[in-house]
Amino acid sequence: MNPAIELQSVCKSYGDNHAVKNLDLTIPTGSLCGFLGPNGAGKSTTIRMIMSIIHADSGSIDVLGTKALLAKDRIGYLPEERGIYRKMKVGAYIQYIANLKGLRGAPLKKQITDWLERIELPEVQHKKCEELSKGMQQKVQFLASIIHNPELIILDEPFTGLDPVNAKVIGKIIDELHHEGKTILFSTHVLPQAEQICNRIVMIDQGTKVLDGTIESIRDQFDPRTIEVEPVERSADFSKIQGVSNTTAIDKNGKVLLRLEEHAIPSDVLQAVVTTAPVLGAQLVKPTLDEIFIEQVAQRRGTQAAEKAREDLAHA
Amino acid sequence: MRKTLTVAWREFRHTAMTKAFLFGAIIMPILMMGLFIVVIPLMMESNNTPLQGKIAVVGSIDVIEEIKQQLTIGDTEIQEITAQLPEVITNDPIANAMLNNTSGKATDVEIVSAEGETVDALKQLVQAEELAGFIVVPESLLISTDSEERLEVFIPSSFSPNHTDILSSAAARAVVDIRLERLGHIPKKIRALTRRPRTFATRISDDGAEAEDNEVARKIIPMAFMMLLWIATFTSGNYLLTTTIEEKANKVMEVLLSAISPMQLLAGKILGQAGVSAVILGMYGSAAIAGLVAFAMMDLVPMMHLTLFGVYFIIAYFMIATIMAAVGSAVTELRDAQSLMGPIMLILIIPMALWPVLAEHPNGLIATITSFTPPLLPFVMILRVTASTEPVALWQIILSIVIGFASVVAMVWMCARIFRIGVLMQGKPPNVLQLVRWIRQG
Repeated sequence: MNPAIELQSVCKSYGDNHAVKNLDLTIPTGSLCGFLGPNGAGKSTTIRMIMSIIHADSGSIDVLGTKALLAKDRIGYLPEERGIYRKMKVGAYIQYIANLKGLRGAPLKKQITDWLERIELPEVQHKKCEELSKGMQQKVQFLASIIHNPELIILDEPFTGLDPVNAKVIGKIIDELHHEGKTILFSTHVLPQAEQICNRIVMIDQGTKVLDGTIESIRDQFDPRTIEVEPVERSADFSKIQGVSNTTAIDKNGKVLLRLEEHAIPSDVLQAVVTTAPVLGAQLVKPTLDEIFIEQVAQRRGTQAAEKAREDLAHA
Repeated sequence: MRKTLTVAWREFRHTAMTKAFLFGAIIMPILMMGLFIVVIPLMMESNNTPLQGKIAVVGSIDVIEEIKQQLTIGDTEIQEITAQLPEVITNDPIANAMLNNTSGKATDVEIVSAEGETVDALKQLVQAEELAGFIVVPESLLISTDSEERLEVFIPSSFSPNHTDILSSAAARAVVDIRLERLGHIPKKIRALTRRPRTFATRISDDGAEAEDNEVARKIIPMAFMMLLWIATFTSGNYLLTTTIEEKANKVMEVLLSAISPMQLLAGKILGQAGVSAVILGMYGSAAIAGLVAFAMMDLVPMMHLTLFGVYFIIAYFMIATIMAAVGSAVTELRDAQSLMGPIMLILIIPMALWPVLAEHPNGLIATITSFTPPLLPFVMILRVTASTEPVALWQIILSIVIGFASVVAMVWMCARIFRIGVLMQGKPPNVLQLVRWIRQG
């Protein structure tokens, strides 16, 4: 099966700023792929090139087996910067965007009504967009991006600004669309969010791809560098163990995470843990995407950049 | 094409089908037309009440007789003049109303002598409404022009200004005629001899063709055509500017560009606003034509002028629209647009500033140069071709149209390149050099 998106050696610069550098990317058809990276990593630029909103300086971009420009009607796109005609009525706005995507005819109105109910916004069809709350507007924008039943859906930070209830509604629909066989590219800088939703991730930093694969395969690529310990007594101190760089209490039962030093051997540390104090359990923890990303940044750009990336992710 | 038309329809609908637009561009011209066709004739009609009642004259017998005659002559002379007017005027509603006002019987008064009565007594009769008014003609005024005594007309406060004029001028004319008669002259003959004949100026062109000079055709009609072009193109151009800025400010641009190309969006917006411009042109044009019909001046606007106006309207609209769309796409706030529009407006105001020169020398050097200079070209050419005094050479008209359409193509091309980059730009507006760079990069 052809990949839904295929980028080969794509570059894009704005003056002296190289937003995307020699990017190769393949998104398999039917996947729910997280497109990750901190702010300014080049995610939105890449997506805009995939949508043929801007053109690449070099390289080739194929979307749904054809040139990006020709596939516009088969793609649903929710941009990072949400846009809406404030004075337009909700129904008219969705219909206008659907018309631009080539969808016409009488069934469209019923489709809009059905979808508005599905996203829990009945009765707003004849209201002006400006009369809706920000969260409601965001759901309308999400609906406008998928109303034409696209094969490929690109969502740039879809949960930003949504409260947990609305985020759950949208998350559920994304999941349903994925199960219907749609390919979904989901861009975010909140890595744990992608970890929960996606089955595949692509991570970029400073316009360059640093990771690409299924979440499991990526985690397997990286040595676990953390041990989770549940001691019998809360007062147990594991910080003196050789190879442990620091410890962090993670719950009120006394469970702690032991962060390993760079050259420490995990099995040796585990053995030292059980001899230091009686424990109910101790296990190696697979790294989170945050940790993997920071490690990648450290390898590529040094520890100072990694610390900066850690701060950025903490603020996300 | 269908997507372009979808954008065009939205643009048209959300501009032209709003209350503000309906009031400004449709209701106002309709009110203006109503004013010309209904209100003015009604006002004229209402002003047409004849002067009635008893007027007393304090003066000699010959003066009283002369005033009687003057009031009658006034009516007769006007009727003689209006009888000679062509049907085109007498059939016209407004002209007819005005003629009725002047040619109808203006007076129906009884002139009586008030010799021996005191002014105070006469004033009381006026107050008691037994007299419509009275005139005091001192004898000294009939003998000498150096008399310090005054010719006086006393009327009630409710007396109409029109009737006051009739009475005052009849009294004044009577005094002059009496003076002449007492010197042995015949006033009617003198008046006839001193009436100035009307001058007919005929312009003879190089090829021997003759055209009657008409000040209205020479000055007002061309200006009206140019103003119509301005209003229609700049109003819709302004809408194009604001809707583009609004789409950028609302961040809806990226949503649109995910469905259509920048060129489709630009074309749709320009086409949609072309419809708006056509509506404005239609409404104001109809109002102008109604005015011309009302004043029986439709012959001053031949079909060729209307055809050329249509051609130059297309050129002017696309030039202005591309400029507005480019500026709108380059900025994020209306305030920023104003700084970019400043120099552009300075250029576009040139035809207005040059109007007196162009009207005086429609085939002069300045007129010829500006006729081939975009974006001034359509505005200057419409002034020249509708001036009707000196015909513009055919080659100049053809060349200006060719340059006009070539400029439109070039401007659309440049605008598209600015638009493509500008619509996704946020923040500080670009300067002219950056715009040039965008055109090169786009």
